[in-house]
Amino acid sequence: MTRREGVLSRLGGLHWFLLLTILVIAVFGTAVLLSAGSSAHNVQTGRPQVDASLAIAHAWRFGLMLFVAIGIALVPLRIWAGLAFPAYFTGVALLILVALFGVTVNGAERWLQLGPIRIQPSELMKLAVPLALARYYHQMFESNRHSFWIHVPAMTIVLIPFVLVLRQPDLGTSLMILATGFAVVFFAGISLRFVGAVMLLGAALAVPVYLFALEDYQRLRIETMFNPDVDPLGAGYQIQQAQIAIGSGGATGKGFMEGVQKELDYIPEQQTDFIFTIVAEEFGFAGSMVLLVLWAIVLFQGMLIAAQSRSAFGALAAAGFVSTLAFYVFINIGMVIGLLPVVGVPLPLVSYGGSVMLTVMTGFGLLMSIHLNRSNDMTLRGVF
Amino acid sequence: MSRDWNRQFPTRRNIFIGAGAVGFGALTAQLANLQLFRTEEFETRATANRIRLEPAPPHRGVIYDREGRILAGNKRNFYVTLRPELAGSRQDVAEVVNRLARILPITEARKRSILQDAERQARFVDILVADDLTWEDFSRVNVMAPELAGVNAEVGELRSYPYYAAFYHTVGYVQKANEKDIARMVEAELTALGETPDTPAGRARVAAVRRLYRHPQMRVGKQGVEAFAEHQLKGEAGRQRVLVNAAGRVIDRLPSEDIAGRQGDDVVLSIDAELQNFAIQRFGTESGSLVVLDIQSGEIIVMMSTPAPDPNDFVSGISQAGYNALLQDERNPLYHKAYDGIYPPGSTYKAVVATAALESGAITPEFTVRCTGRHWYGNRFFHCWERRGHGVMNVHSALQRSCNVFFYEAARRTGIEKIAEVSRKFGLGHRYELGLTGGRAGVVPNDAWKRRAIGEQWYEGETLSVGVGQGYMSASPLQLAIMIARVAGGAGAGDPTLLMHGAKAHDDSVEPFTGISEATMDRVRAGMYAVTSEAGGTAVRAGDLDPRGELPAPFTRARMAGKSGTAQARGFSEAERAAGLRSGAELPWRLRDHALFVAYAPTENPRYAGACVVEHGEAGSRVAAPILRDVLTETLRADPGSRPAFTPKQAVAAAPHPSEPT
Repeated sequence: MTRREGVLSRLGGLHWFLLLTILVIAVFGTAVLLSAGSSAHNVQTGRPQVDASLAIAHAWRFGLMLFVAIGIALVPLRIWAGLAFPAYFTGVALLILVALFGVTVNGAERWLQLGPIRIQPSELMKLAVPLALARYYHQMFESNRHSFWIHVPAMTIVLIPFVLVLRQPDLGTSLMILATGFAVVFFAGISLRFVGAVMLLGAALAVPVYLFALEDYQRLRIETMFNPDVDPLGAGYQIQQAQIAIGSGGATGKGFMEGVQKELDYIPEQQTDFIFTIVAEEFGFAGSMVLLVLWAIVLFQGMLIAAQSRSAFGALAAAGFVSTLAFYVFINIGMVIGLLPVVGVPLPLVSYGGSVMLTVMTGFGLLMSIHLNRSNDMTLRGVF
Repeated sequence: MSRDWNRQFPTRRNIFIGAGAVGFGALTAQLANLQLFRTEEFETRATANRIRLEPAPPHRGVIYDREGRILAGNKRNFYVTLRPELAGSRQDVAEVVNRLARILPITEARKRSILQDAERQARFVDILVADDLTWEDFSRVNVMAPELAGVNAEVGELRSYPYYAAFYHTVGYVQKANEKDIARMVEAELTALGETPDTPAGRARVAAVRRLYRHPQMRVGKQGVEAFAEHQLKGEAGRQRVLVNAAGRVIDRLPSEDIAGRQGDDVVLSIDAELQNFAIQRFGTESGSLVVLDIQSGEIIVMMSTPAPDPNDFVSGISQAGYNALLQDERNPLYHKAYDGIYPPGSTYKAVVATAALESGAITPEFTVRCTGRHWYGNRFFHCWERRGHGVMNVHSALQRSCNVFFYEAARRTGIEKIAEVSRKFGLGHRYELGLTGGRAGVVPNDAWKRRAIGEQWYEGETLSVGVGQGYMSASPLQLAIMIARVAGGAGAGDPTLLMHGAKAHDDSVEPFTGISEATMDRVRAGMYAVTSEAGGTAVRAGDLDPRGELPAPFTRARMAGKSGTAQARGFSEAERAAGLRSGAELPWRLRDHALFVAYAPTENPRYAGACVVEHGEAGSRVAAPILRDVLTETLRADPGSRPAFTPKQAVAAAPHPSEPT
């Protein structure tokens, strides 16, 4: 068996159904972004007006990252497992550098300028944390350690980047890291009693945290979630306008490129975090449900991949990534439709933006790599 | 080997999937709530969201001439406004104004006043940045709009005056209302409604008026008919639905009949714009004014004052430098010489003195005076313009040759009180309310007037000066036209009318032309006929209006009768008179005498009468008579009085009426 045949056979073994679903969501996202810049009936001229620049950039990014993802999938999983810790420590180092030398954008230091490239280390951590955790648990389980105490270093792995990102301040991303990390700890088998205790503690802490630990603007976001009319020109404005767009979409929507709330720029961030408002306004309840179902399919497939993996690393990394995706989708749509407070979380494959595309498609690459290597139990021999 | 994690994994996975299903369910439920059950609520809110009600200035009524030509109309106006609250902080507003100044013709002074307005007014009130823009400027602002926060480029209406300078004085002009105008309009509105600003209705009305006049598109009549008829012309403000985007920028205006305002009423003037234009052209570079009346109806056919600025320049605000130049022009372009200008009527007044003398019996038609060129009275000589003397004069020849000495004596015999009484019957000394701002009464002096105005008794010597239309006597060209119309028409002459279709209230204070015998009037008319048509008359060359028989019947071969006059712009000392410094090119223009002519035509069954004053034109018969002759000829040719005046679709209600409160 030559190496070439190996690559071809691995190509054939790729999870094509998952890829197809991703492709459909990305095409859907491209169409929505095309609509974001366009209008079927311009309010001034009445003629169609098309600005495809967002859609084209989105399609290019997706196309490029699709090849990268397939490339990642074809690399043996052990190599990624080997890179888990280096990636994690690089990420932590970069976060510390951001804290010291970061570029301030919109009042938060999230970016690090490296020559011409501006990178956002917190984005990298969304993948590096579950990978490092999976790698850590894999080693623990290999050496047959299952006591409660193995979870303490794991939580440390989660909390270091969480605190660093929280201090930027970037509440959304830090919570994503925390949630993803805890999801991996959960899948690694921490006792449900402990999980229950943490949840109770969280519930008990919610009120004091709300009152004393949150910034005013964060409190206002939570308030406006319950009542968007509290501050219609300030914090509540975005969510109020988003709900108007979604609600006025009705069952079947106003039609492709016919969104009025969209055209009149009522919704800030409508091509990024609030892209779902366009989906809901133009395609209605039906279109929204199509997108939700597509994402459910992706998440379910991801869970199947996790379940099929014989290695702890594969299973936990896959479960961690699927959790990340699930949080993305649930938090994004939840905040847009007013179920959750507004936090800066985009809708993967649909929202405009390079960072999330990079993270998500790299994650899909790893997921497919885990799928390809599902029968490899990855014992530590010769790997680490 | 323990595979704890592997055993537990399916459970954990199922918990995860279960939680996912709950989350999915929650999202679905909320989406269904918003999109399926509350659709209507959000559709309503979506509409309310982007549709804003804005005050819409009403269409201003159009001012027509008697033939339906537009004297003051409305044209499309591209304009740009700025709303400070949308632009941001003070610095942001200044920055936006600077950016606009780079793409629009905005002067430094204008920039300062915009920034001042931005400081002074409420931040949600639109400020007019520039208007009457070209399409190019307008599109440039539209293209740059995303960088110009708070800036709106809009299309509206702007007053336009198609006859340019011809109606500056009579029609007037509109401008943006200043605080004083707004206070004036509030006052007028409350008076019309009989409200006080203390009542809730009054307060609401005041607020509505103030809001309307602050609208960048709203203008207020500043002078002329525009100012006088503001109530009819302005209409009632409506509200307009505008489609706005999230930044408050107006994207579109929606038709909204139900909340549209009431269009202003149109106003029709009795003036014939073509004849007015002809008269202005006939004046050329001379400064002066001319009024033509339809004798029977009293309708004013021509009422011009020249030179005049272009009222269009005032609509968007004239520059201080431009306005100063107009103020300093010695030809007084801002002044309505026909209505506000008062001059000693000079010899044109002799027709009135002759009437008074004949009517009072002070002289008979056969009464004669020997003119030697001067007349001794009291302690000094009163001069005749003819230094060599006219010889023996009766009332006919004295009118024909404008002999001063005859009228000194006639006036002395008649007495000032009788002259004043008859003068008022001829329409002198009364301010006619025509329907435009301004207007002066002039002076018909008598003893009571002098005691009141100067605090002295009347001296008979002063009567002599009045006898030749000098001294305290003064009248406006409009009054001179009314005077000559009454000479021509007698009791049949109508009161002067400018606003047609009963738009003006009847003026009870007009002195009726009664108690003057037709015999007297015939004698006076014969004298005036002799002026233009008998050998020796002062304006004998001007009498024939139709030497080639071109005028239509009944005016073919028409002649005019009239009277010349010269009014001193200043008095001359005996020394100057002795030095021969009486007239001539060596005098500076502004010191030369005014040339006057009053006339009516045709001489049989007079139809039109007119008065013409050429400022510092020196000689009435030489300078003013030919102008009036040509204008009267054209008037006969057009015969505007023979046709009913134009009736606009937007009919005018009688008298200034209060608008309905909304």
